[in-house]
Amino acid sequence: MNEHLSRRTFLKGTLITGAGATVANWGGLFAARSIAAEAQKAGKRCILLWMNGGASQIDTFDIKPGRPTGGPFRPISTKIPGIQVCEYLPKMAEQVNKLAIIRSMKTQSPDHPEGIYHMHTCYKMSERTPHPEIGAMIARYLGNADSDLPSFVRMGPTGNAGAGYLGPQYEPFSVGRDGKMPSFTTPFGTTEERRKELMNFVEDEFAKDHQAEPFASHRLAKQRAWRLLKAKQVFDISKEWPTYKDRYGDSDFGRGCLMARKLVEAGVPFVEVGHDNYDSHADNFVCHKANMLQLDLAWSSLLLDLEERGQLKNTLVVWMGEVGRTPYINNRAGRDHFIRAWTIVLAGGGVKGGQLYGETDRDGKEVKDNPVSEGDLFATVYKTLGINPRVKHYVGVRPVWATPEGTEPIDELIA
Amino acid sequence: MFEKAAMTWNLPWDADWVTAVSFIGTSRRIAAGNNLGEILIWELPEKAGAAVPNPIRKLVGHTNVVSRLLSSADGRWLISSSYDHTIRLWDMQAAPKETDTVVLNSRAIYDAENRKNGPKPPAPLPVKLDIQSAAVTLDAHKEWVSNISMTPDEKHLLSGDDGGVVILWNWTERKEIRRWKTKGWVQGMCLSPDAKQVFVSERKPLIFDTGRYAAVKIWNAETGEVFKDLDADFKGIQLSSAAYSPDGKTLVLGRTGEGEGKLWIYDSTGKKVKELTPIHQSGVTDVVFHPDGKHFASAGRDTVIRLWNVAEGKMVKELGKARGGQFKDWVCAIAFSRDGNWLLGGDMAGAVQVYSMS
Repeated sequence: MNEHLSRRTFLKGTLITGAGATVANWGGLFAARSIAAEAQKAGKRCILLWMNGGASQIDTFDIKPGRPTGGPFRPISTKIPGIQVCEYLPKMAEQVNKLAIIRSMKTQSPDHPEGIYHMHTCYKMSERTPHPEIGAMIARYLGNADSDLPSFVRMGPTGNAGAGYLGPQYEPFSVGRDGKMPSFTTPFGTTEERRKELMNFVEDEFAKDHQAEPFASHRLAKQRAWRLLKAKQVFDISKEWPTYKDRYGDSDFGRGCLMARKLVEAGVPFVEVGHDNYDSHADNFVCHKANMLQLDLAWSSLLLDLEERGQLKNTLVVWMGEVGRTPYINNRAGRDHFIRAWTIVLAGGGVKGGQLYGETDRDGKEVKDNPVSEGDLFATVYKTLGINPRVKHYVGVRPVWATPEGTEPIDELIA
Repeated sequence: MFEKAAMTWNLPWDADWVTAVSFIGTSRRIAAGNNLGEILIWELPEKAGAAVPNPIRKLVGHTNVVSRLLSSADGRWLISSSYDHTIRLWDMQAAPKETDTVVLNSRAIYDAENRKNGPKPPAPLPVKLDIQSAAVTLDAHKEWVSNISMTPDEKHLLSGDDGGVVILWNWTERKEIRRWKTKGWVQGMCLSPDAKQVFVSERKPLIFDTGRYAAVKIWNAETGEVFKDLDADFKGIQLSSAAYSPDGKTLVLGRTGEGEGKLWIYDSTGKKVKELTPIHQSGVTDVVFHPDGKHFASAGRDTVIRLWNVAEGKMVKELGKARGGQFKDWVCAIAFSRDGNWLLGGDMAGAVQVYSMS
């Protein structure tokens, strides 16, 4: 999967933004300006914590103690009666009043590429329409074209769909797993070759796409590149990290979560932070135990940090992966992919915390009530952020909607 | 020496993975622990060919995986470690106070009942057992106790956990002598017979994260300082299993995980003697020395137990058939009897295998 979007695609997105919707194929602005204006007024943001590989619901938030499917992790109680979480998420247990735990995800794409796509777009990969990722959609409606910062930032292992029909201006800007920016964003003038490289790229791209208006577009492209380079300081957490290291945990994911907090605070509407690797077909318990030690610190600190800074009420934090994991433990001490009954957690941003939504049976094999589809989840997220879940776009002359027909936001989750 | 080694009894205990096994002293009694924290005791017949015995006693108290079982030489004490953070001592001479009925094939019944269009659930195999609680529970650890190791004179015991805590015990008095903390989780671990050296393999089993960590060191048990750093030899490899020979001069080490189940022989100065072949097709789960000190056994995720000659560095016998691929059942733990004539193996299919070495 694309961890680093190529710098070509990044620059392409950045450069075109200032020129507006001049590329007719993408249909990005058709009938959506008023929706975007309304959504932007709300000033909401979204952080997606992506559990790459698919975290095990039965070892995190849907524990089945004493059952053959239970495994060695034990549950701990939280301040909300009836809600227990894994013993290796003690700090998240303290944050339970912020969490809406959806235990009844019932989805359709069981494997990684399809599942990653489906859980980033709410549409199946097999469709011919190039659906945009959730980050691109949020960038589209909550982003600010005049901002020096990208509207869709991601780091670590994340989605694979890109901006789809919304157009390259909404492609993600990728930061390395270790938080490092692409090499060409180092300061202008430090390396003559790098400066020339950037400018050559700018000219080449606009010669291709804007043959009718090369000079104006070239000038715009230069301005946009300069603005990003000026604003890139917000990506730099090196000065703050010594202060926050113990709080977020000295891990790539911890650093990513701090950067996400900084970016949303600076107005970036969507940031995705990937955490590797939950694809525990073998040695599931040691894998999850090690991951949860990082996850618990970083995630809880992110929520607390946002809350302390007054940002949590406007920042939706989504925790999910592409699949859940089987209740059955295989003969590699692992759990395999499972899509019939798994868990996603929402917090902040207008979500009603301190609740469980949906339930699985005693062994975690089936959803007992309130099944939630990909589309239902996305509708809930979009509605929470003030984006119409059924906003319509056009691919050529064909209408497409942000969420599939028949899916509905879950109002019980929205405050 | 082991040409005629063969399985004598396969003791079914289909409740969950059997994760620890031990003979009890020099008696015919054996103990096996499982993933659920249960421990059962069997009395084996004197001779091969006798009927498969049922268990006779159940030890209750642990609430999570039993990671290791050891026994005192006189058979009085069984010692267990567990993921419930405790080490427990069980008095094998204590009279049980109650009985309970255990269904030996409960998992097979559950699996059949939950499988659509599968075979009918088998008839239950109930057995009435004496129930016993632990005489002593030590709660010095705050994390999964992954391993314990005891000196032959039983004066010292070593325990290690997933929090990286290593404790050396005055086992006669059940008191801590010293403890120290490693950076990673303790995995493969053993105490030298003279209680002067401690081998520890550590891990933080992250996968792609830069925080992934593995270390292999021999420690001075008297000072808690590193005696020999073997990190460079193993370069990030995680070792599940380690055992000192009875004379303390030789260390056998086994690699964990799904990769190649490699085995190494080191001397007690930390010098590599030999890397053994053939490797296990998948990770080594346990290694144990034969009482003669000249042989050892290894078990792996590839369903097989191998017997080795230490001096020659050669495999002399294979028990079971090595199975690769995804359809294999691990042998999780092995133990020799004190006279070396018998070998136990506990496997994830829920059986205790008893092998006669002659």
